[in-house]
Amino acid sequence: MNRFLSVLIIFSLFLLTARLDAPAQVRVTKSASEVSFLDLSGFKSGADNASLSFRRTLESDLTRSGWFNLSGGGRAEFAVMGNVEPDGARLTVRCEAYNTMTRERCFSKTYQDDNQGARALAHRVADDLVLAMTGRPGMAAARIAMVSNRTGKKELYICDADGANLRQLTRDNAISLSPRWSPDGKKIVYTSYYRTQFPDVFLIELATGARQCLADFPGLNSSAAFSPGGRELALILSKDGNPDLFIMSINGDRLTRLTYSKRAAEASPSWSPDGQQIVFVSDSSGTPQLYIIGREGGEPRRIAVGGAQNVDPDWGANGYIVYSSLLGGQFQLYVLNPATGESRQITGHDANYEDPSWAPDGRHIFCVRRQNYNSRIFIVDTLSASCISLLQESVKGDCFAPDCSGKYINHAF
Amino acid sequence: MTKNRWFAVVALLLVCALCMTSCRARKGGRRAGDNIGGEVGSGEAGSLATRPEGDLNILTSVKYDAVMFDYDSAQIRESERTKLEAVADYLKKNADVGVIIEGNCDERGSAEYNLALGERRALAARAYLIGLGIDGAKMQTKSYGEERPVNPGHDESAWSVNRRDEFVFFK
Repeated sequence: MNRFLSVLIIFSLFLLTARLDAPAQVRVTKSASEVSFLDLSGFKSGADNASLSFRRTLESDLTRSGWFNLSGGGRAEFAVMGNVEPDGARLTVRCEAYNTMTRERCFSKTYQDDNQGARALAHRVADDLVLAMTGRPGMAAARIAMVSNRTGKKELYICDADGANLRQLTRDNAISLSPRWSPDGKKIVYTSYYRTQFPDVFLIELATGARQCLADFPGLNSSAAFSPGGRELALILSKDGNPDLFIMSINGDRLTRLTYSKRAAEASPSWSPDGQQIVFVSDSSGTPQLYIIGREGGEPRRIAVGGAQNVDPDWGANGYIVYSSLLGGQFQLYVLNPATGESRQITGHDANYEDPSWAPDGRHIFCVRRQNYNSRIFIVDTLSASCISLLQESVKGDCFAPDCSGKYINHAF
Repeated sequence: MTKNRWFAVVALLLVCALCMTSCRARKGGRRAGDNIGGEVGSGEAGSLATRPEGDLNILTSVKYDAVMFDYDSAQIRESERTKLEAVADYLKKNADVGVIIEGNCDERGSAEYNLALGERRALAARAYLIGLGIDGAKMQTKSYGEERPVNPGHDESAWSVNRRDEFVFFK
């Protein structure tokens, strides 16, 4: 009971601070542990496959957003009206949303399927509806890149934020690691041994499948992460004799070394949303801990948090850093406000939670949940504490290193 | 008076702690290879040599013992030095042979951090070999992080054999 209470308090606190920097147009002012009842009965859809697929996906996306309850049982606060019409294989969707309290229409839009299919269209509509009704971005249209060993080798895979459309991206029969999306969601950088048998950094263009080697310096090339503007990478190179943090322009014409730690290893850089700072892991204190450094270099600042190890940071567009902390022999996720140094645990003690990545809604986190040496990707809701598996149980193999696309999608650069 | 005594005790403890840490630091700093052959004072054995071009002729029959490491450490243990001396002897007798030092970690902890830690383990052996007179241009470092365990188990007996540097020789 005490634990339940403290969890409740932690989440209310989190919510409180999360609200401080919330967008001005927030319409939902309830606490997030409550969800709004949403009435979809005025939204008409046919029995054809495309319409059914659209509706199923829309309902699942709205539920997954964490803000809505579609099952009825209470007086609806929002109502979505409209219809979906099949036009050959393509869909036309008309959609309006009302606040039933104020009787105010908060959303109206007509969509044409742009040949991306019913599911992709549903993701777009869901994100627009979430934004209109809550003032917050959704995550339905995001995609997840990950590593899986289901073929016996570690290859890259991508899928939608709801776990559908799982697709194998590499077939190198080598080791592929650490995928990270470009800000526009069209490219992925990752580390692979496939060409030289050494760890090199590659770029995959998703539309064409074209692949380009970005870094094959002597020694280690790893942990590459796109800057929010998309023109630079933060990455780890050991070419100067030690694994250190560098910034490299995508076209390769500029390379700047940021850290000069002696006899220490750096890893896992992640950019601040304004692109001016980088959080990374260094063991210069003897154990892997979090540090922040300016993009021009200088003395790294240690982030003083508890835990024997603090690793795999991801700096969200909401300003918060999520990371994995080793405490009492178990990895748990924490969310840190770098401005105040406060951090809060967001996962329970039932398993190890590692390698977190913020969803574009700034609310959910994709991570690895490891139990009995089975590693699966889970979606953690930082507000409600719900934790669900991304892929269905029937998908075999272990999954690692999830990275969610669209982190900066609501930020203009 | 009692306050003063407490102050003295605390000061004494502080001095002791300081001595211990500086001793430890100095011990680490005197690791072979750091200042011999490498850039003096940089703590690093210089920039890495460019990778050899083309397909390598791997000498699969040449085998030397793996160098083992403590948990979360890239320090060459005293017990492992004879293994590195044997590798150095072989390289000295075979001037046309180069070596890829492959650093590995146990499965615990962050995979990305382990990739960097594995590289540090390979670099530690490289620095030691430079200290023994081996030309840095003949050596390549490669980290496999936690990706290539020799023992797939999940206990210390597996982990201890997975924390290692392996030596692959090539012409």
